[in-house]
Amino acid sequence: MAIKINNIHKVYNNGFKALTNLSLEIERGKFTAILGSSGAGKSTLLRAINGLETITSGSITVSGVTVCKKNLRTVRSDAAMVFQNYNLVNRLSVMANVLTGRLSKRNPLLSLLHLFPKEDYAIADDALSCVGMETSPWSRADKLSGGQQQRVGIARALAQNPSIILADEPVASLDPVSSTEVLTLLKNIARDRNITVVTSLHQVDFAKEYADRIIGMNAGQIVFDGAPTELTENVLERIYQKSPVKEIPDVQMEVSYA
Amino acid sequence: MFKWKCPTPNGLPSLPLLALVASSLILLFASAPIVEISLDRIFNSWGPLLDFLGYLLVSPDWPYLQQLGAKLLETVEMTLLATAIATVISLPVGVLAAKNASPHPMVYHFTREALSFMRALPELVWALVFVSAVGLGPLPGVMALAFVTVGFMAKFIAESIEVVGEQAIEGIQSTGSNRIQTIMFAIMPQALPDFAGTLFYILDHNLRAATILGLVGAGGIGYDMVMSMRLFNYNRIIMIAIAIYLLVTLIDRLSDILRHRIIEGSKHARTR
Repeated sequence: MAIKINNIHKVYNNGFKALTNLSLEIERGKFTAILGSSGAGKSTLLRAINGLETITSGSITVSGVTVCKKNLRTVRSDAAMVFQNYNLVNRLSVMANVLTGRLSKRNPLLSLLHLFPKEDYAIADDALSCVGMETSPWSRADKLSGGQQQRVGIARALAQNPSIILADEPVASLDPVSSTEVLTLLKNIARDRNITVVTSLHQVDFAKEYADRIIGMNAGQIVFDGAPTELTENVLERIYQKSPVKEIPDVQMEVSYA
Repeated sequence: MFKWKCPTPNGLPSLPLLALVASSLILLFASAPIVEISLDRIFNSWGPLLDFLGYLLVSPDWPYLQQLGAKLLETVEMTLLATAIATVISLPVGVLAAKNASPHPMVYHFTREALSFMRALPELVWALVFVSAVGLGPLPGVMALAFVTVGFMAKFIAESIEVVGEQAIEGIQSTGSNRIQTIMFAIMPQALPDFAGTLFYILDHNLRAATILGLVGAGGIGYDMVMSMRLFNYNRIIMIAIAIYLLVTLIDRLSDILRHRIIEGSKHARTR
């Protein structure tokens, strides 16, 4: 079992209950999409798996390792993250950003001088060609378009040689064309490299198209867990509290062309 | 009717702001006598000033030129060395003094207090302290300069670190990097370019500070400068004054060029 989430709760300091009584198991190599409206807890869940958020109670295991302060380096090394805002280091080059994916495997003192062994450069090159960014490894990260930056973010995740990739709304800041590119990329990575991909998405259509399994969240709890084909109107209503389709007003409007 | 541009609900100028500015000005003028501001004295100062300038227009003491050069070199060397040493020390200390990078809140507060203390007294006062400790010469001068510079530089570095974007930090942390790696890869690349400009400003300031440290025997041109003034040795005063001006201007221009190079450089894509 790649990811095992056992009855977790996450309550913030101000009392807000982000995750309540959540249990989940995800198999290796599958592409799972998490749907839910803003505030449903999708980000919190993904970040908790990587250890960026600490859960209030319960346990999470990643490839058999419990997520706790002691194991953060191991867990994070194995479960790479891709972020909505790419979270690259803007002033560094594309290559430098991808190389940071190797930090968890490297001696901290050597990396003090930004030194990486040759194999790391080879791994970075491989990651960059996988995402199609091998032609401009020395450009500054912030000079790229959104879609390109996200691909660099994915390359960084790949460089970690992870067994899991957690993508927190990876296409929320991208246009439709770049979004399809990025999601196809993630899907291919999942299939070709047997990496478990868990991604949160806003767009229901994308989820239906790319995911093997869809998990719907609402107010910190899982309200749906099944195949894309099982995603009916009722289910969507449960997830979003209002069905997205019904949001389009079905009203006869009086329009006057004055 | 003249309308202010700041948007207030009724279109009239912001009364609290006006009141604040007015009362500040009144307070300033009322307290002027404390520093004995007297327009009278200022207006009548032309005479003595022109007299003094007249005394300066004497032929320079040319034989003194060699010693002048040596002392100036010593001053520049003190500045560069002190600033370099201070930079090396300030980088890790700045990390400790940055709220988002410090290992523990107690370390953060202690470091901030220590830096504040180091900045509290001018270089000249610290130079006096170090002269008592290690004796006369440029060494206490370098120590004093470095000491105070760390106080300022570490603070500036810490402030640059504190405004670094959270997102890049999280991005690096999510790969499993440890504290040092996060600092080197997420924090420093963002903080250092901001800091480069401050470095030159500090270098500039330190040169001026170094020129007077000789007052307490801590090396540099300061001793000669003060002695010539006390002995009314105008032949030397004029040389020293012009030399210092030229030196400071030169370093100023060089710093400007270097700083612009760095800013331009960091804007372009790096080519391998």
